[in-house]
Amino acid sequence: MTATTGELEFLAKDRAALLWLGIALLVASLSVFLGLREVGAQRTVLGALVENDRAEREVLTGLHQDWGSVAYYTFHLTYDLPSDFAFAALGTRDTAPWKHRVRALALEGQIYETDADNPDFALIGRFDFAFAASMLVPLLLILLLHDLRSRERTAGRYELLSATSASAGSPWFARAALRVGALLLCLIVPLLIGGLLAATSASKLALASLVVTLHIGFWWGVCAAIDRLCWSSPVNLTALIGIWLALASIVPATIKGSVEAAVPLPDGGTIMLTQREAVNDAWDLPKSATMEPFIERHPEWAEYAEISESFEWKWYYAFQQVGDQVAEPLSNAYREGRIKRDRLAGRLAWLSPPALVERTLQGIAGTSMTDSIAYEQRVRDFHSTLRHYYYPRLFRDEAVSDASLRERPEFSAMNK
Amino acid sequence: MNGLMSRLFTIARAEWQLWLRQRLALGALLVFALLLVATSLVTALKASQEHHERTHQQAAAEASFLSQPDRHPHRMVHYGHYVFRIPAPLSMIDPGVDSVTGQSMFLEGHQQNTAMFADARASAELGGFENLTTALVYQLFLPLLLIAIGHGLIIREREDNTLAPLLAQGMTGIQLFAAKWMALAGLSLALLLPLAIMGAIAASQGAAVLASAAIIGLYALYVLVWCSLILLVSTCVRSRSIALGILTLCWLAAALIVPRIAVESASSAVPAPSKLETDINMQAELRTVGDGHNADSPNFQQLRANLLAQYDVTRVEDLPVNFRGMVAQSAEAGLTEVMNRHAEERMALEAAQARFAASFGWLSPVLTVSAGSRALAATDLATHHRFLREAEAVRFDFVQGLNRVHAEQLAYRDDINRNRDRQASRRTRMSADNWKVLDEFSFEPAAAGERIANASTPAAMLLAWLLMLTAIGILAARRMQP
Repeated sequence: MTATTGELEFLAKDRAALLWLGIALLVASLSVFLGLREVGAQRTVLGALVENDRAEREVLTGLHQDWGSVAYYTFHLTYDLPSDFAFAALGTRDTAPWKHRVRALALEGQIYETDADNPDFALIGRFDFAFAASMLVPLLLILLLHDLRSRERTAGRYELLSATSASAGSPWFARAALRVGALLLCLIVPLLIGGLLAATSASKLALASLVVTLHIGFWWGVCAAIDRLCWSSPVNLTALIGIWLALASIVPATIKGSVEAAVPLPDGGTIMLTQREAVNDAWDLPKSATMEPFIERHPEWAEYAEISESFEWKWYYAFQQVGDQVAEPLSNAYREGRIKRDRLAGRLAWLSPPALVERTLQGIAGTSMTDSIAYEQRVRDFHSTLRHYYYPRLFRDEAVSDASLRERPEFSAMNK
Repeated sequence: MNGLMSRLFTIARAEWQLWLRQRLALGALLVFALLLVATSLVTALKASQEHHERTHQQAAAEASFLSQPDRHPHRMVHYGHYVFRIPAPLSMIDPGVDSVTGQSMFLEGHQQNTAMFADARASAELGGFENLTTALVYQLFLPLLLIAIGHGLIIREREDNTLAPLLAQGMTGIQLFAAKWMALAGLSLALLLPLAIMGAIAASQGAAVLASAAIIGLYALYVLVWCSLILLVSTCVRSRSIALGILTLCWLAAALIVPRIAVESASSAVPAPSKLETDINMQAELRTVGDGHNADSPNFQQLRANLLAQYDVTRVEDLPVNFRGMVAQSAEAGLTEVMNRHAEERMALEAAQARFAASFGWLSPVLTVSAGSRALAATDLATHHRFLREAEAVRFDFVQGLNRVHAEQLAYRDDINRNRDRQASRRTRMSADNWKVLDEFSFEPAAAGERIANASTPAAMLLAWLLMLTAIGILAARRMQP
């Protein structure tokens, strides 16, 4: 007990340690605050958008008298609500879209539109808790621990301290443990407060805390290993920063390069061009060239597939769908390639604890690449229900009615 | 004076020889050099591959537009066109925002699309520092190397008890400071050699020589700022350990914390609505312009009256121009005016955000050098906006060119009867020669002079940093005591 009190007093007098701990607390609190603010802003934007989108559809009601025009002019907002833990890891939300407007035309021409923020922001990155925990914390821990032994050695007290303690290594262990514990508190407390404010589920907070603890534990191990080599403080610190640099940047860069080389993606531009050519060629081709592949996919409309006029809406929407069908292999390859890249990166991220922590926190927050691809899939699903809503009305040539319009699907957000 | 210079040089040379003998310094130097070469090769290869690919895609897109068969001109308006942004030669040093902004854009009538297929959306997510580029290695990691080998420059003399003899031999503190500064600066500038080589390669591939030289100058200024900071700390602090701690903290703040705080502050100080919000909000405005597909819409009553009066006829059928084509032209012009106004507002807000973030450069030379570097490499926000504006100009020109064909060459009577039968439809097909209204698109960044002017503020900030830190360092060195 007295030993612990003694160590506490020692820590209280160690101004450098207090400085690093203070910075850790500041960084963690600031990141949580900024994350909460950003998530709040995204929710506000979405709230207003949902409202405006609905109002916009109401304005259109009654304006168009045929289903073809209704489907052509009506846009639908889709969105990906931030989860209750998104404040801690904003993840891909600054480069990938989390709001998207679609209509019943060919989807491949719409789905890749990206409504991103200022590119300067995405380039530099956001100051969220995941960044603090994965990148900044290891450096602060290194600064805290790198000279625990070497400082005493320089001051000539090392032998004395080692000799007077009951078991070898224990004063160092207690001293380091105290600093590590304090650093952990400086991180976890702001995170938990943020979690309370955002009403985050306890399991997510517990999991995130565990991840952060393990990460700090890893770096403690690294510091201890370097410390055992009995170098001088500056050499210790230089070596540790070198290790940080390697694990935080060089290893991830190498992983990224190898993953991208190992899993090539079809060029995005080609998907778009394929889809466009298919949609536009349809105008010049015989109607059957469109209707046959369409009916193959939708046999239920076979008896309505006769196109007698030179322009009919059902034919127009059929070739929109056929355009998507033609681009489908490329589009699937693009999506699967991205999933494969992400999965491979996830496995290789074990080589870089900071990258692993960032990815894990994004996973908990629902802001990872997987989540962004899942949102894209929800947009596709919604678009498909929209098509299925319009097809019977187009093919049976029904009259536009308010009652029928009320049955039109609306995008419903999934709560994460 | 000559004798003094040679004395200073002797000390600097001794320092260089020491670094070559020390395993730590030499090891760090080698690792850095290796990292730099590897990164540079990867960045340059990627840039050249993208240059090749997009040039090819652009040519293919133009060829496919021009090779379209005879058809109704409005079909071509919806067929649309693609433009690709071909990376500037200097992007092999600093790809800047290229990886987060899309590189291709679909141009069509009646709407402005966003740039698509940003690399960032398809790349492996690994924590934020996985996108190593030559620029980033210089901006973030060169300072760490300089700190590691330079923090002890003056402290070491103190700790080894060699400072007192040096000062006793008549060397002043300022002279020692100058000699050590020369040693570190010499090394830093030597480390810029790979950058200079890449600048020369970029210049041989068509980059403006002036811009290449300016980018090297900018990074030289930047590394000298760090040299002065390191020397200042080494002069003022009595222990190597503390000096290293302070310098690491400075780096942590300048490289990792301040840039992101700048982003957060800018996004809250200058809120900019997203394109989606703007799009929805301008719908009402677009409706007042009217739908150019519907010539009977009341929005075009005025146009109809004006045309009838101008040609002194009573029915649109008797006009010498195709009324539907005239409506398409007028609607496109009206829509474009509204869309451009909103797009310009958005770009102005983004530029204001960038300026706001740039003011944090007074707290972080890293932020400053990265802004200047992107401006010079033509990979900054301003260049992205330039791409958006040029693409829009191409879009408007070809759409209106096609609408002109629609109005002047396609008879109104044929046009309204186009869906009656096959014959009628055939009469509305215009010759494919008309598709030559499409201009060739080749995106050129702003002239070197303009880019250098854009980078002059960051350069001036770095110079101010350098002068300030060196001046304080000299003041501290003047009072140097063993």
